[in-house]
Amino acid sequence: MNAAALRGVPAAPGVAIAPPWHPPVPAAHLPGGVPLIGLAQAVPKAVEEIEALADRLRRAGRDEEAEIFGAQALMAADPELLETAARLVEEGQRPDEAILSAGEETAEVLAGLDDELLAARAADVRDVAARIARVIRGEEPPRLERRSVAVAVDLPPSVTAELDPALLAGIALEAGSRTAHAAILARALGIPAVVGTTGLLAAAAGAGLVAVDGERGEVLLDPDPAGLADLERRQEAEASRRAADAALRDRPLATADGHRVMLAANIGRPDECARAIDAGAEGVGLFRTEFMFMGRASAPDEASQAAAYAAVLSAFGERPVVIRLIDLGGDKEIPYLPLPAEENPFLGVRALRLADAGHAELIVTQLRAILTAGETTGREPWIMAPMVADLADVYRLHELVAMAAFGQSLSVKPRVGIMVEIPSVALIADLVAPEVAFFSIGTNDLTQYLLAADRTNPVLAARQDPLHPAVLRTIAKVVESGHASGIPVAVCGEMAGDPAGAMALVGLGIDELSMDAGAFGGVKRALASTTREQLVDAARDAQSVERAADAREIFDALRGADRVT
Amino acid sequence: MAEATVEVRNPSGLHARPLAAFVKGAAGFSSTIQVSNLDRDPELAQNAKSMLALLKLGVRQGNRIRISADGDDAETAVAVLVDLVASGLGEKVGPA
Repeated sequence: MNAAALRGVPAAPGVAIAPPWHPPVPAAHLPGGVPLIGLAQAVPKAVEEIEALADRLRRAGRDEEAEIFGAQALMAADPELLETAARLVEEGQRPDEAILSAGEETAEVLAGLDDELLAARAADVRDVAARIARVIRGEEPPRLERRSVAVAVDLPPSVTAELDPALLAGIALEAGSRTAHAAILARALGIPAVVGTTGLLAAAAGAGLVAVDGERGEVLLDPDPAGLADLERRQEAEASRRAADAALRDRPLATADGHRVMLAANIGRPDECARAIDAGAEGVGLFRTEFMFMGRASAPDEASQAAAYAAVLSAFGERPVVIRLIDLGGDKEIPYLPLPAEENPFLGVRALRLADAGHAELIVTQLRAILTAGETTGREPWIMAPMVADLADVYRLHELVAMAAFGQSLSVKPRVGIMVEIPSVALIADLVAPEVAFFSIGTNDLTQYLLAADRTNPVLAARQDPLHPAVLRTIAKVVESGHASGIPVAVCGEMAGDPAGAMALVGLGIDELSMDAGAFGGVKRALASTTREQLVDAARDAQSVERAADAREIFDALRGADRVT
Repeated sequence: MAEATVEVRNPSGLHARPLAAFVKGAAGFSSTIQVSNLDRDPELAQNAKSMLALLKLGVRQGNRIRISADGDDAETAVAVLVDLVASGLGEKVGPA
């Protein structure tokens, strides 16, 4: 049989091949069944189950999840919840149905409170009610008998936490996004996962073997021998690359002759901190904050933003964390941010420019949340504004920060810097440098703007190489201007995580490289294979070649034998 | 009958974690204990021994809550719970 490959969203890296396991679907009605025990007997049993689960998670060092279940244990014995359910039983409902209705009622109130943290608890109440209903019906908690790939529409927290991680080979979900509870858990535990796989359940019915490719975002059902062999090769390559990276974990980012460059991580969510720290990140060079603003009906409030920023600041302790202000524009549809459609959204009203298009409050609220996070954690936040074109934008940025700080006596002052991605600001970097605390070059947009080559057009992909001499010369100028004013210059674009790109950047004098933690190993190996002097010479030569590909050759030649990574 | 008002300084208000500490504290007293959020709906009083009820108060940082108790150990209950809230319920809080 030939493999049917389904496309989904990659949620956690790695490859897993195992038979499928379908979690039991909690039915709203027990067809013809009779509840085994009453509410009063079921509750202590459910509480006991939840507490045992919390204990197990705590012993496994999964404190954050353990806490979720600590709260769930209290909810399961909650007098209000049980009184509501008992009343429904008196009115003639079956106990399992009564607890499900009572849970749903409470969940709806919480979800409607317009407070994110509380709304998230709605899922917990539903989870707790489902557990009590299961106990009433005398059903066992879900359990894996052998190594399996969980195949489901979605997995609630109780199911994912209950499963033995040693037997959970992979996760394939029909619904969900990268931010679903199951996806977060999968990343934390290193279990390959693909989510948002349309048509998965229908296609997987009757499949004997399921393969999950968490890098490509593919689910293969009953792969044929050739497909299986290919997957196994990828699995092995991935394992050996991980082993090689792990061996480099404690080695700093440096050239063979000991020139140190700061190694920082790009993250998109607070829960990615652990992976970055574990990989050896010396800080966060780019914390993208868009995740909080996407896929929702109203703007996130200040308190929930502050909690997210504080989580990252405290996770990194003394190490610097650069928080980027929202980079949103007309290319994204955001219900609470009505922006007119534009011909060229990347040259339009986006990011900092929103402040002058009637949305200053959005940015000031974000800034206030960042300042609050700084106060509560005692850690200095580094604030970075994207889409800065000139000095006027820099002054506007400082004005917005002052508005956010108005009336507060701050004991922790933020550092305010800019992302260098618009060519105009790169050209006047010498004028701007004295006015900011740091530069961070966004090489993806800088390249697209400098070469007038749309990043989103695949036909122009070859023109998107930041090793183009025009980009290298621009970066050289920005570094020179930054250093003349004594401020650090970082790079947080994809170029930093590309071994040849990283070599060029270090040759140009960049102080910090920020990238996805998965790229650390390759970049460390590349830099360790050369000396600073070699890189400086190569970066000078690369500024006068015909095409980016020629520059790439110069650095690849320097890497020599190490290239096969 | 005893009552007192205290300001909540937890950065994320009274969400699940600090509430768990509060509810466990309240459960130790025989008195009937009620809590209301003076900055949202002062008339809505909820059972201090129910986390789900307290969540519905939507208490955020800076909100003042009123704790009232009725029963044999009412005085002690209010004093202990006010103390718990003022000390941050196990979370780090800034100066008042």
